[in-house]
Amino acid sequence: MEGIKLGLVELNWSFFFQIANTIILFLILKKLLFKPVSEFMEKRRAEIEGSIKEAEMKNVEAEKYKSEYIAKIEASEEEGRQIIRDAAKRAEVRASEIIKAAEKEAIEIKQRADLDIQREKEKAINLLKDDIASIAMLVASKVVEEDLNPQRHNTLVRKFIDEVGETRWQS
Amino acid sequence: MNGGFGPYKVIELPGGIVISQTVTVTWLIMLLLTVFAYFASKKFNKVPDKFQNVVEILVESIYGLTKQTMGEDKINFAPYMGTLLLFIGVANVSGLFGLRPPTADVNTTLGLSIMTFFMVHYNSIKSNGIKNYMKGYLEPMPFLLPLNIIGELANPISLAFRLFGNIVGGLIIMVLLYGALGSISTSLGIGIPILQAGIPAVLHIYFDLFAGLLQSFIFTMLTMVFISMAMD
Repeated sequence: MEGIKLGLVELNWSFFFQIANTIILFLILKKLLFKPVSEFMEKRRAEIEGSIKEAEMKNVEAEKYKSEYIAKIEASEEEGRQIIRDAAKRAEVRASEIIKAAEKEAIEIKQRADLDIQREKEKAINLLKDDIASIAMLVASKVVEEDLNPQRHNTLVRKFIDEVGETRWQS
Repeated sequence: MNGGFGPYKVIELPGGIVISQTVTVTWLIMLLLTVFAYFASKKFNKVPDKFQNVVEILVESIYGLTKQTMGEDKINFAPYMGTLLLFIGVANVSGLFGLRPPTADVNTTLGLSIMTFFMVHYNSIKSNGIKNYMKGYLEPMPFLLPLNIIGELANPISLAFRLFGNIVGGLIIMVLLYGALGSISTSLGIGIPILQAGIPAVLHIYFDLFAGLLQSFIFTMLTMVFISMAMD
């Protein structure tokens, strides 16, 4: 490229050419390089940010659900325990009621039986007393013949027997 | 070499419009960046491959740098800052491929810094209102108005010549070095300039890669700082 050289420090048409060239290059690079690349990266950044945010949101939601479920499970476990406790208590109360009732009944039965026995005893004693009285009367009348007034002597004999029998028939 | 270190004149259009080497190399760089941009954003997947990763890191770091330097609300400047960074970076590195860096031409650097200048003042007026913008020149004291104006005008010039000086300095040193190594080779009686292989590589790494990328970064950062300072 041998030819005429221009001066080293010389303003010429190149000045305007270079300004135009720079503006053209700016427009080309802006359109072809900077705008698409930066837009693309911005879009991707927003996308990644969005998915990270979404994942975080889902995590939070899952955490919420988890604690909710744990609380529910704990509540139902507690409820189950409560039910068992209640049932046990009820059963205990019922058992003691039954036992108490049975005891009461047994006591009543025993009391009735005692009463019966007492009554029977008394009846038997009275019967025996009557029998002995009449036998004694009979024997006495035989011995003393018609002399005895059965009405008077009956009470006399009975009194005697009572006095004797009180100690003899007690047991 | 017909003297000087300026760019070659490639063609002269009717009307005296000269197209220099600077402009043609710029066109090449534009083509390269356009092809890169086309393939970079052609097939974008959700799960990036290696190339896509590189593109994403590039774009993301440009946006991050803009956000960090200018603030969240001025993120819309990121494509322009990215263009500046890529264009100046590739232009500075193009010296490695035997091209004359377009940034070694004051027309390019002044063009870029004038654009920065206009963006600074346009955005300052837009966000502060014309009244506050004018008032800014009278601060901290009204008699400092001429100094403020000179300061504002100095910005694009210093911006342009910083970049230009760095790149053209490297270019001149490299040209001189190649010349010197060539003449040493001949004076040693070697027909082929064998010393030109290898030795300049270290300086290429410094001037083209290190200083080149650093200067593209500095230019972009300063543009960002000027604009955001003017807007706040």
